[in-house]
Amino acid sequence: MAVKGPQPMTAGLVAVLFVAAGLVSVGAFIAAWRRDLTIALAGIPLMFAGAGTAFAGVSRFAAAPAGGGQLLGQEVAVLLAVAALAAVVLGVGLAGREGRR
Amino acid sequence: MDSLHAIGFYVSAAVSLAGGLSVAFLPDRLRRGIALGAVAIGVAGIYLSLSAGFAALVALACYGGCAVLLAGPSYRIFESVTATVWRQLGAIASAVLLVALAYAAYFGAFHHANYFGGDFGSAALGRRLFAHDALATEAVAALVLVALVGSTIAWRSRDRSR
Repeated sequence: MAVKGPQPMTAGLVAVLFVAAGLVSVGAFIAAWRRDLTIALAGIPLMFAGAGTAFAGVSRFAAAPAGGGQLLGQEVAVLLAVAALAAVVLGVGLAGREGRR
Repeated sequence: MDSLHAIGFYVSAAVSLAGGLSVAFLPDRLRRGIALGAVAIGVAGIYLSLSAGFAALVALACYGGCAVLLAGPSYRIFESVTATVWRQLGAIASAVLLVALAYAAYFGAFHHANYFGGDFGSAALGRRLFAHDALATEAVAALVLVALVGSTIAWRSRDRSR
C-alpha cells in the first residue's frame, strides 16, 4: 500500500468565494449597525472589495477563453475599487458639510 | 494554486476580515482608519495571491485612500435618526446575507474549478481598460469627476456658511 506524503496547501474557488461573502457581509453589517453615517460609509469599500474579490477569483479559476477574457474579473475589481473611493470622497464631503466635529 | 500563494491568500483573507470587523467595533476614528488600512493591505494581498498584481496596486491605493479619508481631520460626525430596531434588523439581515452567500458558494459547482495562474498582465489589462472596455472606464471616470465636484461644492458651501 502506497503511503501518501504530505499534501500541499491549496486554496480553491470556494475559499475565495467564502472570503468575498465575508467581506460583503461585514460591509453590510457596518453600514447597517453604526449610528454615525460617516462610519457607515466605511462599509461601502468593504462591500466593493468583497465583490471585486469574487470577480477576480472567478476569472482566475475560470478556463481561459480566447481574447483575454480571463482579465475581465481583474478589470471589474479595478473599476470597483475606483468607484468605492469616489463614493467615500462624496460621502465624506457631504458629511463634512452637514456634520459636527 | 501552490502552497506559497495559498498561505498568502489565507493570511491576507484573515487580515482583511479582521480589519473589517475592527472597523465595525472600534470606538475612535484613528483606529478605525488603521483597521481600514489593514483591509486595504489584506485585499491587495488576496489579489496578489490570485495573480492580479495591477488590481492589487489599484486596490491598495483606493482602499488606502478611503482609510486616510475616514481617519483624517476632515472627518465629521453625522448621526442618523434611524431607530435601534431597524439597525438591529439590518445587522440580522447582514448575517442572513452571509449565510446565503456561503451556502451558494459551498453548494455551487465550484469545488472542481482549476486555478489558472499567470503573469500579472498589466499591459493586457490596460488594453482592456482603455481600448476594449473604454466605455466602462469612462463611466467610472465620470463618476469620479461627479464625486470630486460634488465634494468640492459641499466643502465650499460649508465654508461660506460659516
